Amino acid sequence: MTIQDKTMITININGNEIKLEKPVTVLEAARSAGIKIPTLCYHEQLEKYGGCRLCLVEVEKIPRLQTACTLMVTDGMVVRTETPQIADVRRGILEFLLINHPLDCPYCDKAGECELQDLVEKYGPAKGRYKEKKRKAPESLEDPVIVRNMERCIMCTRCVRMCEGVQGASAIAVIDRGGHSHVEPFSGGKYDCEYCGNCVSVCPVGAIMSRLHRHSYRPWQVKEKTETICPYCGVGCTVVAQVRDDSIKRVIPKIGSPVNNGMLCSRGRFGYEFVGSSERLTSPMIKKNGVLEQATWEEAISLTAKRLGEIKNKYGGSSIAGIASPRCTNEDNYVFQKFMRIALGTNNIDSAARTGYAGTQTFIENIFGQGATANIIAGLSNSDSVLVIGGDPTTINPILGLQIRACSRKGGNILAIGHIKGLEKFNPLTVSPRFYTETVLLEGLVSALKNKKGLSGSIPVLEAKIKDINTSAKEVENRCGIAEKDFIRFTDTLSESLTPAIVLGKDIVQSSGGSYKLMLISAINYLMNARIYLLCERANEQGLLDMGCAPDLLPGYRPLAFAEFRKRYENAWKSPISEKPGLSIFEMVDSAKSNALKAMYIMGENPVFNLPNSKAVTAALKNVDFIVVQDIFLTETGKLADVVFPALSWAEKDGTFTNMERRIQRLRKAVNREGMEDWRIISEVSKNMGVKLNYSGAEEIFQEISRISPLHRDLTYEEIEKGDAIYPYKGEPLRGVMEDIQMHKGSSVNPDGKLYLRLERPLFHSGTLSTKAPALVKIYPEAVASISPSIGEALSLKSGDMVKVSTRTGSLELPVNIDNKLDNLSVMLTNNFENKGAFSLMEYTIDPVTKAPVIDANEVKLEKSVRLDSEVRA
Amino acid sequence: MLNEAAIKELNEIRQKYPNARAALLPALYIAQREFGHLSPEAYEAVSEILGVPKAIARGVATFYVMYKHKPMGRNIVQLCTNVSCMILGAEKLVDFLKNKHGLEPGGTTSDGRFSMVIMECIGACGTAPAMLVNDDFYENLTEDNIVKILERYK
Repeated sequence: MTIQDKTMITININGNEIKLEKPVTVLEAARSAGIKIPTLCYHEQLEKYGGCRLCLVEVEKIPRLQTACTLMVTDGMVVRTETPQIADVRRGILEFLLINHPLDCPYCDKAGECELQDLVEKYGPAKGRYKEKKRKAPESLEDPVIVRNMERCIMCTRCVRMCEGVQGASAIAVIDRGGHSHVEPFSGGKYDCEYCGNCVSVCPVGAIMSRLHRHSYRPWQVKEKTETICPYCGVGCTVVAQVRDDSIKRVIPKIGSPVNNGMLCSRGRFGYEFVGSSERLTSPMIKKNGVLEQATWEEAISLTAKRLGEIKNKYGGSSIAGIASPRCTNEDNYVFQKFMRIALGTNNIDSAARTGYAGTQTFIENIFGQGATANIIAGLSNSDSVLVIGGDPTTINPILGLQIRACSRKGGNILAIGHIKGLEKFNPLTVSPRFYTETVLLEGLVSALKNKKGLSGSIPVLEAKIKDINTSAKEVENRCGIAEKDFIRFTDTLSESLTPAIVLGKDIVQSSGGSYKLMLISAINYLMNARIYLLCERANEQGLLDMGCAPDLLPGYRPLAFAEFRKRYENAWKSPISEKPGLSIFEMVDSAKSNALKAMYIMGENPVFNLPNSKAVTAALKNVDFIVVQDIFLTETGKLADVVFPALSWAEKDGTFTNMERRIQRLRKAVNREGMEDWRIISEVSKNMGVKLNYSGAEEIFQEISRISPLHRDLTYEEIEKGDAIYPYKGEPLRGVMEDIQMHKGSSVNPDGKLYLRLERPLFHSGTLSTKAPALVKIYPEAVASISPSIGEALSLKSGDMVKVSTRTGSLELPVNIDNKLDNLSVMLTNNFENKGAFSLMEYTIDPVTKAPVIDANEVKLEKSVRLDSEVRA
Repeated sequence: MLNEAAIKELNEIRQKYPNARAALLPALYIAQREFGHLSPEAYEAVSEILGVPKAIARGVATFYVMYKHKPMGRNIVQLCTNVSCMILGAEKLVDFLKNKHGLEPGGTTSDGRFSMVIMECIGACGTAPAMLVNDDFYENLTEDNIVKILERYK
C-alpha cells in the first residue's frame, strides 16, 4: 500500500476537525464523528455504489457537489454536509424519487422503518410538481415467501448487490432500463434461490418484503426485541426476534453480530413459525391402555419418578439410557447428564451427535489436542485456500458457506472433493473420485503433500501412519478416474497455500472406512498446517458434548476413563459416578432390541426418525418397558412413549448454546408460554426420586458449570453476553495423551451397475423441526427422490413423475426430481418429512472407532409408479 | 440445449474476452440465433457455458432493445421513423404496411414470415426513409418498392 496508509489525515467536516489513520470515505469519516449524512443506496455490508445522490456534500475547492459515500478523504479536506444548497438538492432528488413512488404508506408494512419516508419527512418536498401518472406494476405475490412491489422500488440496487456480492446467489437482477427498470428473479415471478431473505434486510423501502408477517403489525408496535441465537444449525447466528402479543412477528439479523454480521439463511430468517404452531404439545400425557391421554404435571412427574425408581432398583442403572438434545441449551443438557449419572446411576447418555459430529471431533482432538476444531468462522474468508470434503457447507451451515464464497471473491482457491453445488459458481478446483475410491484419492493427497512438505516430527503417532502411505498420482488416475494432470494441479494448489483451511462434512464419517479417512484428512491437516472446521448440523451439538452428554465424557469434555476427573465431579455432586462407560446411542438400540434396556429418558430428540434404519429403531424401542419423552411436538418417538412432557421451545427460555467455533452465546427468552424448561422438568422428576437438583434459573446452572467444569472455569453470563466466551475461555483445554491412532479401513464396495440411496442435506430443512415452519414447507414442500438425467431417461421418468424407491428395509413412493448435477449411481433423498424419511430405507453398520453409522452402501431399486389422482397437488 | 457447433462458437468467443461477463453480449446473440429469441432456455444455455448467473444474463440482455425478447418472425423488418425518415414519409409507410400487409410495429404476421420493429436512426438520413431487413440495408423507400423488397424474403 501507499505511504499514505501510515500518515494521519485531518478532515474538517462542518467545522469539526477529524483525525483519521487511514483513508476512508467522507461518509465513513463523518459517521465516525457522529455526523449524519443521509443515504439510500449506501449500505455498510455492500460495495459502494454512488447511485442515489442523497449523500452529496460540498467540498471546498471542488466546484460540484460530491457523493460522500464514494469520495475518499484527503488530508486537509474541508466538507460541509448541511447547507441550503445541499438541502435543495436533496429535496429535488427526493421529488424525483416520489414521481413514481406510490406513497401508499398507510398500507405499506415498511412505514415506520422506511428510509425514504424518514428522509422525505426531514427534507421534503411536501408537494410534488409532477402531474404525470405514476408507473404501475402489480404487487408480485407469486412467491410464497417474498413479496415484491416494484412501484415502491427506488432503484438503489441494494438487493441486487447483496444477492450477488455478499450472498453470492445472483438470483435477482435489474431488468429493463431507465424508467422501466425493476428488480426481478430470473423467472420474473417466483424466486428460485437460496431464500436467505438478505434482500429483504437491505431494502430501504417496502419494495421487497417478507410475506410471513404481512399486514400483521407495525414496526412501532413491536415492543419486545430479543437478541438471541438461531435454533437451527451449529453456526450460531445472532438473531433478533421481534415480538408482539407473545408471538414472534419477525426474525431479523443484526449488523455487527459476531458470527453472521447482518446475514441470515432461509432457516434462520423464515423458520421461526414452529414456535407458534398449533401442533405444539400443551399438556403432559400418559399412555393408558396403549393410548396417550392428557394428564396433570403432578401425575406425569410422579409416575415417571416412580417407574424409573422401580426399574433402577430392579435392574440397576445400566438398564436405563438417556438421549440428550443438540437443540436444547447447555443448561438443559448439563442437568440431563447430571440426572442420569447421579439419580439413575448410569453413563448411558448419548445423542444424535453420535451420527457423526461427536466421533469426528473426538478423533481429531485425540490427535491435535482439544480445541483443534474450534476455529473462528469469519477467518475462513481470509484463508488463501479452502479444501471442502464430505458435504455442501452452503446448505449445512449456510453462513459458513458465505465465508467460503467470500474467500473465493478475495482471490482464494476453493478446492473441492466431489461436486459441491453451492460453490459451483465460485471457481472451485474440483476432483471427483469414482465411487468408493475417495480413500485412494486422500491417500494420494497425503503422499503428495508428504513429499512436498516433509515431516516435522511434532506428532510422531500420526507421522508413523503417514510414512506408510504411498499412493502415486498414476494410481489415483487408474483407480479414482482423476487425470494425473488434474490431480497434480490440485495438490500443487493445495501445497502452495500458506493459510489453508479444511471444511469437513459428515459424509466422510458416515462412509465405509470413515475413521481411516479421518486419519488421512488429519494427515492432510497436519502436513498443511491447516485449520479444520467441522460442519455442524444442530445448534448445540458442540455444547451437549461439552456438557458431558456422551457415554464416555464428563462435563468440560473430560474423559470418564480418568479417575481424577470422576473424583472431581463426584466431590462436586456429592455422589458416586459409575466408572463403567455407557452405551452409545446405537448400542442403546441394540440393547433395547435384546431386552436388556428397560427404560429410556429422551429429551428433545426423535431417534425413531433421526437414526438410520428407523423401522429397526422403532421395533427396538417398542421393547423398552418405560419411555419418557420431552419435546415440543408429538414426534414419532413421542408416540411410542409412556410419558410425554411438553417442553418449552428455544424462544421461550433462557440459556446458552455453544456453536461449532465453541463460542458460547446467550439464548434469551423472547415469548412467554406456560410450561417448563427441559432442565426444570428433569429436576422435578429428580426431586420426586429423592435426588435434589434444584436451580432457580438457567444462570444458576451455568454458575455450577463454571464452578466445576475445568473447561468453563469462572465463565459468567456477563462475559458471555459481552461476547467474550470464545474458546478456550479461561479454562484448561485437555491435551491429548494418545498412544496410537485407532482406525478402521472398512470394506470395499463394487458399485458396478447399482444404485445407492444417499442422504440429501437440504438448505431449507433441519430435522423434522423445519417441517413445522410453514414458510420453509412452502419453499420445499415434500420429500422428492433426486436422480440424474440418465437414470431418469432409462426409466422414462421426468421431474414430478412418481417413483417407487425400494431398499432391503422398505419402500416409498416419491415424486422424482431430475438434477443434472447428480451422478449416475445415486438416488438422493432427505430425512425431513414425516413417513418419507431416507433413514426409513437405510441400514447401517457402525464404525468401531468413531461409533458413527456407515450409511453409504444402501442399494436401492427404482420403479416408475403412478401417482393416484387424489394425490396430485392442485 | 445448444448444438455442438454453437457451443464451440461460444467457447471461442469466450476466449477473446478477459472474463466471462464481458463475453455476454456476443454470446447472447448466438443463443438468440439458435433459439429464435432470448427464451429462458437461451439464457440458461449461455449461463451454463459462460458460468454467468442466468438472472445476470437476463438483466444485461433486457437493457438492450436490439435483442429479440419474444418469439419473432423469420424476417425482421427494422424501419426507421426518426426525424428525416419521418419527414419523408416513414410514418405513412408504417400505416401502409399495417393496413395492407398486416405488419404492425412490434408485431408478427400471422404466417410468421415477418416481424416489424421501429428503429431509431440507422444513419441513412440522406436517403431516407430507410430500413433494415435482417442484415440487409434499403433506402429511398416508397410504398411501391417496399412491397417488392419484402417479396424477396420468404
